Amino acid sequence: MIPSSTTSLAMDDVHRSSDSVKVESTINYYSDGFDDSEDPLFLSDDDFVGDDDGAADALLEDIKEDEIDLLKQKQQDCKILSTTELRQRMEQDVAQVSSVLSVSKFEASILLRNYNWSVSKVSDAWFTDESAVREKVGLLVKTVISCGIVSNKRKIIICGICFESHTSDRIRCADCGHLYCEICWSIYISTSINNDGAGCLMLRCPDPSCHAAIGQDMIDSLASEEDRKKYSDFLLRSYVEDNRTTKWCPAPACEYAVEFSGADGIFDVTCRCLTSFCWNCEEECHRPMDCETVRKWISKNSSESENVNYILAYCKPCPNCKRPIEKNHGCMHMTCRVCRNEFCWLCLGPWKGHMNCNRYMERTDSEDKRKKMAKESLEKYTHYFERWDANRKSKLKARADHQRVKDEEFKKLSLSQDIPEAHFEFISKAWLQVVECRRALEWSYSYGYYLPDNEPAKKQFFEYLQGEAESTLEKLHNCVESELKEFLDVDGLSKKFSEFRTKLVGLTTVTGDYFEKLVRALENGLSDVNSHGTKGLEEEVEDCWCCDRCTYANPSSIRSCKVCGSLNIDNVNE
Amino acid sequence: MANSNLPRRIIKETQRLLSEPAPGISASPSEDNMRYFNVMILGPTQSPYEGLGSWRSPSTSSCGVVETGGVFKLELFLPEEYPMAAPKVRFLTKIYHPNIDKLGRICLDILKDKWSPALQIRTVLLSIQALLSAPNPDDPLSENIAKHWKTKEAEAVETAKEWTRLYASGA
Repeated sequence: MIPSSTTSLAMDDVHRSSDSVKVESTINYYSDGFDDSEDPLFLSDDDFVGDDDGAADALLEDIKEDEIDLLKQKQQDCKILSTTELRQRMEQDVAQVSSVLSVSKFEASILLRNYNWSVSKVSDAWFTDESAVREKVGLLVKTVISCGIVSNKRKIIICGICFESHTSDRIRCADCGHLYCEICWSIYISTSINNDGAGCLMLRCPDPSCHAAIGQDMIDSLASEEDRKKYSDFLLRSYVEDNRTTKWCPAPACEYAVEFSGADGIFDVTCRCLTSFCWNCEEECHRPMDCETVRKWISKNSSESENVNYILAYCKPCPNCKRPIEKNHGCMHMTCRVCRNEFCWLCLGPWKGHMNCNRYMERTDSEDKRKKMAKESLEKYTHYFERWDANRKSKLKARADHQRVKDEEFKKLSLSQDIPEAHFEFISKAWLQVVECRRALEWSYSYGYYLPDNEPAKKQFFEYLQGEAESTLEKLHNCVESELKEFLDVDGLSKKFSEFRTKLVGLTTVTGDYFEKLVRALENGLSDVNSHGTKGLEEEVEDCWCCDRCTYANPSSIRSCKVCGSLNIDNVNE
Repeated sequence: MANSNLPRRIIKETQRLLSEPAPGISASPSEDNMRYFNVMILGPTQSPYEGLGSWRSPSTSSCGVVETGGVFKLELFLPEEYPMAAPKVRFLTKIYHPNIDKLGRICLDILKDKWSPALQIRTVLLSIQALLSAPNPDDPLSENIAKHWKTKEAEAVETAKEWTRLYASGA
């Protein structure tokens, strides 16, 4: 029996929750970072910026167009959804199933829950075999009994749980017709909601032989306000967690979910709470590394101290590729699984032509060699780990610094320079770029660790790109960190500040470019090296001059920097 | 005292258990706690827990004399949340059974996640009785006994009979 008032109440809920506006956001830090057309920076060009900025603007416009396309595409891949938006989507899905299958909304909700909230899966299964689906999820066709009691309100019925007698208007049942009083129903529902966790969404009729599903309509009409809220939260959690395309933002206490539909292997998403994470593995963003290697790296870091001991005690490094090898089978003929090098376990000499190594050779190099190799392997790890860790810490520090600058120094700066705080957006963007680049640099060290030793060209190319990126980042970081301080206590709008602004904007752009190059190259597995050697790179290096002020690599055909407009000093001198 | 505001359901169940006991099962509430029941289950015929001697039902003396041996004592407690939560049941008599451990705890779905408030003390005890007829070594509580049961069933059944004779004489 479902009183009509119940239904309308639930419908109200639906409408109440659909009053929000959809907002989508992804931040692409490698882009110019200035693609926001509402940016006060660009609206106030005339009264604020010197003449030599025209070139920079033109360049930014160029980048803007490309990046907006890219950004649009990225936005399609990822959507940040608030709980209100999630509820709205859930209602939409439910409504769709309800109308396509001609079932009530509550039945549609039960169906969706059982099929991971996939509208297409539900309809496929339903139209393949409706009765099997009904059986599986516990949706029964209404029985005669349930209609019978509604008609006779004075009839006395004994509740199957409390054994008390009730008039039939106090008795309720699901579609199966098993009768229990309202009090027992509400305790039954409340017990499940408070003890079974998300299991309450799968609540069935109390009769042990019956598996009729209890829908939200029964819950809403029988449970307390508090329990109804809990139930609806469980339902929303199920909508996010059981749905293949959505995940909660992993930041503590963040209530946004991220819907992701990209398939190009880039899983970096940024929640509206500004937490960036990899949608695939839920670790922090780790572009350009893939999730599997990140997992390896993290577990390596956490167990490295024990590992080293173990390796020293039980493993020998392959004499060719130096990877530690543990021997688990009888004979001494070893084949390295990685480089296929064959060698003797005892003397580490090559297996080809190996006769015997039983004769004691006067303390030759074998033992020393082994120790040395283990040491080298450890030193290599330490090298990359140190730099990975330093950049990670620097990233966290930069994040905190940015917050502090925004909270405290913008105010001071606004007073001393007599410029509205809104105009300091470029400083914020520089900080965000620093954080993002530190993050990419961090993971590029882990990438470097896993880069095979036997491909020197790739390694060289990688180290070149990384080196360039790192040195521009150092300049940018220094500029935004130290040079900004000079303006905090100086009064009046100084020409110097406008120079600083130009420099910082230029550096931000250039650093972004370098990192984009680095990240893209690493994501492609440094494949440029294979296809055209390092030629492309050299060409670029030879034909460019680096601006002394902002480090932007300009083609040699132009004499003043594309970004900051300063002249090529070397060129002038010549 | 807790007994004074005993839910009607428990009172009714108790009355029915005493007036119309299920065959081979007796359950009577303790005098000082109406939620605590002393239970006896007669080992089902053609099971290793079957009795051999004579036995007088304590609750209904009119029930007469039946064969003794194979009388298993259990305790049953109805928690505060009953019937929304399952009763707690435990064998007091030692028993050699793959789904019952040495502390007498019982592995039975309706006592755990399959509990429903529409089940009753009577249905629980009947299920336990059925479990004695049909041990389920594939879902064991006692690993050793289950292994014994699966590898050498005849021998395991002999042990169960031996234990029944030793511990479940009804004395």
